[in-house]
Parts: sequence; C-alpha cells; structure tokens
Amino acid sequence: MSEALVDALNPALFWEYRQVLLRGLAFNAYVFFSAATVALIVGLAAALLRVNRAWPFRWIGTLHVEVFRNAPDYIMVIWVHFVLPLLLGKLIGQRVEFSPFASAVIALGFVYSGYFAETFRAGIQSIPQGHLDAGRACGMAESTILWRIILPQVVRRMLPEAVNQFVSLFKATTIVSLIAVPDLMYQVSMVTQQEMRPLPLYTGAAVTYFAVIYVVAGSVRGLSERWRNKIYA
Amino acid sequence: MSNWERLVWNQRGLLWQGLAVTIEVCAIAFAMAIVGGLLLCLVRMHVRPLRPVAIALIEFFRATPIFVQLMWVNYVWPELFGWPNTFFTAGWVALGLQSSGYLAETFRAGIEAVPRGHREAGYSVGMSPFQVYRRIVLPEMLLTVAPSIVNQFTVIVKSSTLVSVITVPDLMLQAMKLVNIWYEPIEVLTATAAIYIGFVFLVSTAGKALADYQRRRFGLNAA
Repeated sequence: MSEALVDALNPALFWEYRQVLLRGLAFNAYVFFSAATVALIVGLAAALLRVNRAWPFRWIGTLHVEVFRNAPDYIMVIWVHFVLPLLLGKLIGQRVEFSPFASAVIALGFVYSGYFAETFRAGIQSIPQGHLDAGRACGMAESTILWRIILPQVVRRMLPEAVNQFVSLFKATTIVSLIAVPDLMYQVSMVTQQEMRPLPLYTGAAVTYFAVIYVVAGSVRGLSERWRNKIYA
Repeated sequence: MSNWERLVWNQRGLLWQGLAVTIEVCAIAFAMAIVGGLLLCLVRMHVRPLRPVAIALIEFFRATPIFVQLMWVNYVWPELFGWPNTFFTAGWVALGLQSSGYLAETFRAGIEAVPRGHREAGYSVGMSPFQVYRRIVLPEMLLTVAPSIVNQFTVIVKSSTLVSVITVPDLMLQAMKLVNIWYEPIEVLTATAAIYIGFVFLVSTAGKALADYQRRRFGLNAA
C-alpha cells in the first residue's frame, strides 16, 4: 500500500510528459470555449422561442430544452460523431465526415444549450412587465428592447447559475477523449499505454483537473460577484 | 423499416439487460451518495478536528470531472487499497463519490435553512441532541432539498453512460457492441439515445411529482 501510495503521488513521470499533457489541457480549453459559444447562441435562441407568444415556437423551444437537458452527454457525443454524418450524407447524397473536434463541439454545445436556455428563460421572465412597457412607451422596437433592456439585466441575474454550467461544461470536455480528441485525458491514456504505469498518471490527471477547475471556477465566481455587486449597489 | 426491426427490436433482450445494469449501477451509486453525502456533511458541520478533511474531500469530489474520477478509481484504487476488485464496483463507487460531494453541500444548505426556533423547541421539550436531529432537523432538511436530490439522481443516470468505458455491461456498452457487430450505427444509437432521454425524463418527472407530493403533505409549497 505505502509503495503504491508513493508511486501514485510521485509527480516525476507526469512532469516528464508535461509538454504533451499541457497541450492536452490547452485542447480541453479550446473545446470548452468553442462549445460554450455554441451553447450560448443556441441556448439564447431556444430561450427566445420558449417565451415567444406563438405556441408553435414555444412548443419547439420546450422540445429542444427537454431533449437536450435529459440527454447524457456521452451518448450525444457518440451519436453526433457516428450517426449525424451518415444522416446528413443521406440527405445531401454525398459522404460527410466530422472531425472528432467538430463532433465534440456540436454535441457538447447542443447538450449545454438546453441548460443555458432554461437559465436565460428564467432571467427573461424575471424582468418586470413594466420595464418592457416603459421601452414600448418610448417607442423602442422589440429588438431594441431585447438588446437594451432585457439582455443586460438577464446577464447579470443569470451569472452565478451560468458560471456553474460553465464549470459542468468544462468537466464534460474530458469525455471527448473517447472519440479521440487529443485532450488531457486522451494524452494520459496514450502515455499510460507506453509506460504501463497508470498510478501516477491518472492521479496526476485528477489533481490537475481539480486544481484548474477549483482555482479558475473560484476566481470567476469571485469576479462575477464583485461585478454584480458594483452594478446593483 | 426492416433495419429498425433487425437491429433494435430483435435485440431488445440485450438492450433490456443493459438497461437493467444501468438501473442497478445508478441505484447503488445513489444509495452510496445519500449515505456518503450525509456523513460528509455531518462531519463537516459537527466534528471539529475532521472538518478540514471533510471539506477537502467534498471539494475534490465536486471539482473533478466524473470521467477522470472513474478512471482514477478504476486504475489507481485497486493498487492503492486493493479495492474495488470488479469494474462494476468501480463504476458505482466513482458515481457515488462524485454525487456524495454534491449532496453533502446540498444537505448542509438544507440543515442551515432549518430555523433555530425549531431546534430550540425540541430541546425545550426535553429531546436529546440526537432526537432533535432525527425527529426535527433531518426530516425538515429532506423536504427542503428533495428537488435537488431528484436532480442529483438524474445526474447520476446521465453520468452512468460512462461506466461502459470500463466495460460495465450497461445499456451504452450493449449498444456499442451491437454497433461493432453490424457497423450500422444509425438505428441502434438513435434508439439508445431515445431510451436514455426517455428514461431520464421519466425519472425526473416521477421524482419531481414524488418530491412535490411529500412537500405538500407536510404543508410546504410544491417546488
């Protein structure tokens, strides 16, 4: 036990491969930022559908949210990587192939758009009717009201919840290694196959992810709190 | 649609077996998460010398991705502790660890939300601290956090797809096996995704209804 413990906590092997592993971590961040962009845009669109006055739009928005919020991210990643290209290929009559990176971004982006849509919707619906009426009374167009009155308030209100979802999304980026996106977990499993020493490598990966998520999430939460307080004060 | 019949309907026995394993893993992990979460939460709040240990564990479980924890438990624990000795055990242990961290924080918030007066009322009629916990604090806390507990269970179900990576024969692994036999992923994977989405929807809807029923029964508003 103690020998194994020393082996697990010895960072030498992890340090030896630091360049490869760091590149992997950078790839995690790359997937994260791309998927977060997709999730925010699609999520906002779905939220706007859900608060639309016409029921067919509301219905589509609700369907989007229910499907993607209830879908496990792993099966969505696999589905987008193996099934979606075939379906698209049948549709346009030629061979389509997604790179693992593209599949990962599409799948994670859409899964998390479901969560973001709910957060946006809660934010939008928390805005008093009077604010909209005030905008209309000044002769603002509906789109101006959206960008000038609704969204600035929504962003501030939903920030704490959104930070939590960003953290979940970053954690979910680890599973893209399963479709051979070269992220940190993928590099760790590659190095493990060469060195046959899983103890220090997987422990190192767990500690690295913990440190990154704990520190980054903590500071982002602190910053967003300060920003919110400054505005509301 | 003969492909659907050949690849999905005729394989329903396999898929059903897989779903049963998924449910089994999730149920054990959920039980472990409730017990572990309560334990971590109580240690954190009431056992002074062990507080830093509990906080460190909670933060570690919450801030590491489930996939990383799964790999870590599966590859590192057997050599460190000589346990878990099967993939199945490693699967539910990892799922349970992650959720116990989240539930510990949920329970703490729920316990802190119990008004002080309720506890004092218990003491004033002569209850011991243990009785106050068992009769007043824990039941009230459970009602307050019931919706979050349901939510955490759906998180477990969604994460449980990953145990297929360490060859636990759950629904996901059975589906991947079928894909690898015929190389026709469209029907099998679409059906599997639909089963998962339907199952999670069912669990969360039923869970919410149960939580709301219990809350109303004891005079709280439905959440």
